[in-house]
Amino acid sequence: MATGRTQASAAGAGDAPAPLRMAVPKGALFAQSVALLEAAGVPVGGLADPGRQLIVRTPGIDYIIGKPTDIPAYVAYGAADVAIAGKDVLIESALDVVEMADLFFGACRFVVAEPEDAGDAVADTYRHLGVIRVATKYPRITELHYAAKGVQIEIVKLHGNIELAPLIGLADQVVDITATGTTLRMNRLRIVEDVLPSTARFIANPVALRCDADRVTDLADRLARAAKTMGEDRT
Amino acid sequence: MRPKTPRGFRDVLLTEAAERRVVAQRIGDVFEAWGYGFVETPVVEEYATLEAGAGSSLEGTAFRLFDVDGSLLALRPEMTVPIARVVASRLAGQPGPYRLCYVADVFREKESLRGEARQFAQAGVEFVGAAGPSADAEVVAILVEALEGAGLPSFTVGVGTVAVLRALLAGSGRDAAWQSSVMRAAHERNLVEIDRLAGDAALDPAVADALRAVPRLRGGAEAIERCRAYAAGCGCAGAVDALADMWLLLEAAGVAECVRVDFGILRSFDYYTGLIVEAYAPGLGLPLGGGGRYDGVLAAFGAPAPAAGFALSVERMQIALAQQGAAPRVRGLDAVVGGDDPAATFTAARALRLAGRRVRVASATDPAAIRAEADAAGARGAELVTSDGLIAPIDADGTPGAARAVAEPLASAPGTEGGERS
Repeated sequence: MATGRTQASAAGAGDAPAPLRMAVPKGALFAQSVALLEAAGVPVGGLADPGRQLIVRTPGIDYIIGKPTDIPAYVAYGAADVAIAGKDVLIESALDVVEMADLFFGACRFVVAEPEDAGDAVADTYRHLGVIRVATKYPRITELHYAAKGVQIEIVKLHGNIELAPLIGLADQVVDITATGTTLRMNRLRIVEDVLPSTARFIANPVALRCDADRVTDLADRLARAAKTMGEDRT
Repeated sequence: MRPKTPRGFRDVLLTEAAERRVVAQRIGDVFEAWGYGFVETPVVEEYATLEAGAGSSLEGTAFRLFDVDGSLLALRPEMTVPIARVVASRLAGQPGPYRLCYVADVFREKESLRGEARQFAQAGVEFVGAAGPSADAEVVAILVEALEGAGLPSFTVGVGTVAVLRALLAGSGRDAAWQSSVMRAAHERNLVEIDRLAGDAALDPAVADALRAVPRLRGGAEAIERCRAYAAGCGCAGAVDALADMWLLLEAAGVAECVRVDFGILRSFDYYTGLIVEAYAPGLGLPLGGGGRYDGVLAAFGAPAPAAGFALSVERMQIALAQQGAAPRVRGLDAVVGGDDPAATFTAARALRLAGRRVRVASATDPAAIRAEADAAGARGAELVTSDGLIAPIDADGTPGAARAVAEPLASAPGTEGGERS
């Protein structure tokens, strides 16, 4: 059982409370996460330009820069108290975290796609073979989606370049996230149906929310307000 | 072959095992001080028994196996349902209420590579046959005292109730599918989804406001009053009464300062009907344990009775104690004794043990080697036993000092309890 064992006891920390530990996803959501924190008036210190640092310390918050798919695990096991994470990785991880606020940025959607020229080929395959093969980075979401439709599938889990799978005959369809659909179009795939939408969320460890309720809820409220303002500016 | 334990199972050795015994003992002492009696149940139960008691939350968590006749069995994933079974069958006809407690290993199926054990020890109580604020307060107060009794310096106990959310949903006028969506979102701690569901245009605005606000309410008595205000707007103010009355009793019992009301707490087992309680240690990312009121479980066994209880994870208690620098101090070995005459050594060792010492018989006979064995074992002293039955302390260089009778205290003997080593 991993339970944030390396964390020094907050109880014995003396007067000043230990900094809140906040995980921030690197990659596509990183710049907007920093911008949102700044807009919410949360001091970010050197977070905007961390270089190769993975932990950026400020007086109130220690920022932990992590791979997006690992962030739910950081929070669920208490290695981070709070985090910004995409709804996509939250669903896929199925870990126990509190989803406190929708931050609206990083919007994308899960879609089912297949080759533009597939025509009725997928339905035909299904009629004859009773199963279709689906490539994805998100096996849990894929399984739930097809199960809800009552369609039998075989899942091939890949780690990237999902759009390649139908082109090389590895899969009949793919389930992937897309913001604009450009990558799918460039690889001559068409969207067959929507699975679900995703945006960035503010999440908290359930124990951190209870033991450090004031700081965690205050941060959630500030980020939610700033996210709403920024969301309205975008539209 | 190179043997290993199956995934998620592990051995508990020496220091950890000794500390675990101390922690379990301290918690068990608190249970007994409240008049609870220990029970033991089989590790294996009929799957149907567990399913009748725990419902759908059993799915995916139970460690299943087949009996020779093909019937489905399961290792107990928790102790609440087995104890409910005991009360409904073995104790049927005896006057209640029953105050039962346990320290037991439970088993849960876990996915691979999540860093989680599939077997862990729980210490808990079940208070069967009593309902109302006083029974709820007793369970919460025992939890607080168990955490204190275990020697944990810093902790928080959170209490909530599922009654408010259930009452709000029942009075919402919306269909069962919508209600179960809200319940599921609450179980998943997904406040964003609850907000979205509360945005349903057909919903009474007062209920929508309450749904958004109640899972975020936490604090002391004032949080209960704020919750009552939201519930009153929806015509279900009474759902808060039991918690409010319990709070007064917790204040009277002097434990309220360790307890926070939190209407956002829901636990993964879905048999809870009222009180929900969880214990947290700051810095430990997972709850130390929890429980609540489960008035429907006994009815599944044909013996309807109100009941409440909690379970603490002994492993997580040990982690929290270590994190907070309060790991139990385990009494170690007092001395390693040895000498040329095995019979004299055994006689001297027995005499020392009868005098209350923890004494190991050395494999070696040479003073320097006995000293080395004592050091390796972390013993406080090393003693050379002479053939005439006297003992002589061996110093750090391996040189024996003046011999004396066993009846005299060990040179290295602990004067008091302060002689315990950490």
